[in-house]
Amino acid sequence: MATERAGTWLPEAGKLELGSCCGPRMLSPERLALTDYEYLAQRHVLTYMEDAVCQLLENKEDISQYGIARFFTEYFNSVCQGTHVLFREFSFIQATPHNRASFLRAFWRCFRTVGKNGDLLTMKEYHCLLQLLCPDFPLELTQKAARIVLMDDAMDCLMSFSDFLFAFQIQFYYSEFLESVAAIYQDLLSGKNPNTVIVPTSSSGQHRQRPALGEASMLEGVEASLFYQCLENLCDRHKYSCPPPALVKEVLSNVQRLTFYGFLVALSKHHGINQALGALPDKGDLMHDPAMDEELERLVVRSRLHRTSRQHRAQEPGTFGFHRRDKLEALERVPSASAPTPSPYRWEPRE
Amino acid sequence: MIPGKYRSVSGRATNNVNCGLHLVIQTSSLPEKNKVEFKLHKETPSFPGRLLQHDLERNYSSRQGDGRVISPSPRNKSSCISSTTNVTELCGLEMKTTTSSLSAFGDSSIQTPSKSRIRQGCHSAGPNVSGDHINLVSSSMPSFPILQRSSEEKILYSDRLTLERQKLTVCPIIDGEEHLRLLNFQHNFITRIQNISNLQRLIFLDLYDNQIEEISGLSTLRSLRVLLLGKNRIKKISNLENLKSLDVLDLHGNQISKIENVSHLCDLRVLNLARNLLSHVDNLNGLDSLTELNLRHNQITFVRDVDNLPCLQRLFLSFNNISTFESVCCLADSTSLSDITFDGNPIAQESWYKHTILQNMMQLRQLDMKRITEEERRMASVIAKKEEEKKRESQKQSLLKEKKRLTINNVARKWDLQQHRVTSIAANQDRKDSDSPSQDPGQVDGSTISAFPEETGSLDSALGNALQGLSVTDTHLVEVDGDTLSLYGSGALESLDRNWSVQTAGMVTTVSFTFIEFDEIVQVLPKLKIKFPNSLHLKFKETNLVMLQQFNALAQLRRIDQLTIDPQGNPVVSFTLWKYYVLFRLSHFSMQKINGTEVTQNDMIMAERLFGILAHVASSELPQYRLISILGDARKKQFRYLLETKGKKPGIVSEENNDSKRLVGENTNRATLNYTTRDFYNEKLEEIKEKKKFCKMYIEDLVKEATEINMKNEALQKLWPQMFIELVRDAVIEIRNKSSYMKLCLQQITDQK
Repeated sequence: MATERAGTWLPEAGKLELGSCCGPRMLSPERLALTDYEYLAQRHVLTYMEDAVCQLLENKEDISQYGIARFFTEYFNSVCQGTHVLFREFSFIQATPHNRASFLRAFWRCFRTVGKNGDLLTMKEYHCLLQLLCPDFPLELTQKAARIVLMDDAMDCLMSFSDFLFAFQIQFYYSEFLESVAAIYQDLLSGKNPNTVIVPTSSSGQHRQRPALGEASMLEGVEASLFYQCLENLCDRHKYSCPPPALVKEVLSNVQRLTFYGFLVALSKHHGINQALGALPDKGDLMHDPAMDEELERLVVRSRLHRTSRQHRAQEPGTFGFHRRDKLEALERVPSASAPTPSPYRWEPRE
Repeated sequence: MIPGKYRSVSGRATNNVNCGLHLVIQTSSLPEKNKVEFKLHKETPSFPGRLLQHDLERNYSSRQGDGRVISPSPRNKSSCISSTTNVTELCGLEMKTTTSSLSAFGDSSIQTPSKSRIRQGCHSAGPNVSGDHINLVSSSMPSFPILQRSSEEKILYSDRLTLERQKLTVCPIIDGEEHLRLLNFQHNFITRIQNISNLQRLIFLDLYDNQIEEISGLSTLRSLRVLLLGKNRIKKISNLENLKSLDVLDLHGNQISKIENVSHLCDLRVLNLARNLLSHVDNLNGLDSLTELNLRHNQITFVRDVDNLPCLQRLFLSFNNISTFESVCCLADSTSLSDITFDGNPIAQESWYKHTILQNMMQLRQLDMKRITEEERRMASVIAKKEEEKKRESQKQSLLKEKKRLTINNVARKWDLQQHRVTSIAANQDRKDSDSPSQDPGQVDGSTISAFPEETGSLDSALGNALQGLSVTDTHLVEVDGDTLSLYGSGALESLDRNWSVQTAGMVTTVSFTFIEFDEIVQVLPKLKIKFPNSLHLKFKETNLVMLQQFNALAQLRRIDQLTIDPQGNPVVSFTLWKYYVLFRLSHFSMQKINGTEVTQNDMIMAERLFGILAHVASSELPQYRLISILGDARKKQFRYLLETKGKKPGIVSEENNDSKRLVGENTNRATLNYTTRDFYNEKLEEIKEKKKFCKMYIEDLVKEATEINMKNEALQKLWPQMFIELVRDAVIEIRNKSSYMKLCLQQITDQK
């Protein structure tokens, strides 16, 4: 049964895999090279199936009341809409590229107002906002993202929402890729030929990356063309998601030499990569979300009404006040319940 | 009158002559007048003080008799020396009573008739004898006048000689008067005591109001009993070594600054040191007979040794500089003391003066010239008891305060340690495992270090021995002060399990948490809600509030009007958005104040603008199953707590149930924003991991099975067309020979039958 559903949904997952241009039901040579199981795993179908069953297990009493078929429908719908990552644990959020993109989009949608308000926040505060959506979001990732925006030594500085968001996007979405890049960069710095080097595991990459950063600034980075060759090579064999090689080439072709962080900054500012990733709007439209703004206005009006009614109520004594309050609440709740739900939350990454 | 033994004392007493002290020189037989006895009487207790303290110095300079302890009334057969100050009055009275029987005693010693007149015998002037009876002639030594009396005079007053107001500058040489017992040099200008060493039978020597600067020339007067040196210029008590039988010593109105050289005077009964320059009282050992000690008008600040005076009954300390009872506390140890004065001292102004004195000196009969009544004593003891209680109470209070301070310090230290440990662990985890949430170690380190060094320092220095043990054992503190419940240290949270009285619980409107991990507080919030339903103001200090998310936990409370988050130990306060987040998340409380600042309508709108979308997304875009699971967690938690408390208070539980329902309803669009403590969350993650493992296996099996089936199906699909053709061909071949096929069929049918 589960397989059937997964089968029909499969193209969606395929679509989310960046860099694959194959149509939904086309049997690409790549597809034929894999066994069914491997294919499903590679396209993260298994991840979602596992998670669906897991969620089902989690709430089996409640779900059995409103129907298992209904549950699976809702689950895969929410996966399509990207709402499945809200308040989930970090291990799930980072499990697939689609989840990462969904999380990025959710973060943008929820806290766009903070940026709109013009507040500059510290890395820690951004981290807190992230934790509102994902309680166990690791500080390290936020720190790394902040390091892209800020200089390495000024970690307590304030950042604008957009700067942080785009840096965070690169860091979060391509975190494994960036680790490998860091290792390659390091090897280039120390004069080794990285093409012969096997792509290091993430942990070893991490270790090597840090101590040599000082040297990097001294040597003014590495040569861009050589760096690109290595990266192209990396993109080919990298099993995690990478930015489109063409765009990487574009980024690197503008300069002769560059540092690791220079590269990251360039990546984060490149709107083509942002578009390719597809989770966030262009920088110019970052504060623009009319549907949500409309919704927000409604909420603000309601909260004002709510507060004044509360104050009003506070002056009235006894049971009458309670009575009135219940009524008011009922009135208040009706519009929100019957309000037209905003158009289904879908976005097309590459359109 | 008993012949040979006169006691005028009783007579005077009945006549209400108010003398407390009677010095009676009694002679047992007429011819022998050498047995003289001094007696101290205290007969009229209602007026005893008058004699020595009152009039003595009050009229110090104006009246001649003032300041004298004893004025002599010498007689032929018996000498009654009265110590009264009002010598004239006394003598007058005495005269009334005695003249009839004693014609010879017509005058007192003070009155002029018996006085010898001495003309100033200066060195140059030579002897000037005036009066009828006495002649002063120049002696062989040119500077001293020689005194001679007429024979009648000698007979009449054989044992006394009065040279009062004779403007003498030196002591005259007194010849042929070896039997003299009483000698009076009052009101002269004598600067040095001399020429009297031959008067070895002298008992009474009065040098009041002269200019003597040093006590001297007395060493031979072994029988001297009364020595009056008042109003002189003596600076030092000295040269009294041989006067072993001295009974009365009057040194008032001198410049003595120290009590000394008196310890051998074991017979001394009266010592007057009024109007001197004494700054303190001590060196009183050996004065075993001292009954009366006058120390008025000095600058005494403290008194010692008085408890070494076994006979002391009257002590006059008026007009000194005594300000505390502690400085005179030795008086309390004196068993004989019955009369004391403190008037004119700072101590007498104190409210506690009277009852403290009375309470500490039970033997006292008179204080400041007033008789102590039983009533007063009772009052004093009551007041003293109250005072004692008060003191004990305040001591207890201060002890409690100290205890509190120490406990808080101790908790702070523990907290400090814990923070360091936590951060080091967190830092380690951070290095090893990027998935674990952690705080920034530098931040926490910095704040805790800066907050506590002076506290721990003072703790060590000010630690009382008695409290030392306590500071080690007490790791938390619970305090209810008025409407505030203060909890220090995580152990204090257990106090919420206690049975608080309805009144206390109702009164508490402010709950303050200090040195408690916020996650631990979260776990007791449901209890807090039940036990202290009126708590409207929550205070957090040193609670490790690091995330906005943590505020979600407060939403489950019944009501919060005020929230105070101390920046100390709560890094979240440094965030720009924390207030707005609190307002947003706890909007259903309509909070009045955050950290003491009034919440305005604009704040509320701002909060809504900033976080409204989050709530909207959380409520409207969350898939149904997630909504159930998230709200379910909250419900499950409550359910778990309900199970715990069910047995105890069903009434409250049901109320709580309603309450939670209402709360959830009131707050649907942000109820999904809840906070699970780190421990609980990790537990949950573990659980999820387990489930995931199972799901992974299950799905793997399932998918493998499905792919196998699919493969078989595909293989079948591939084979099927060929198989179909083969099957059809076989069938056609079979029915090609119609008749034989029919035969075969029929055969089969008959066989079946």
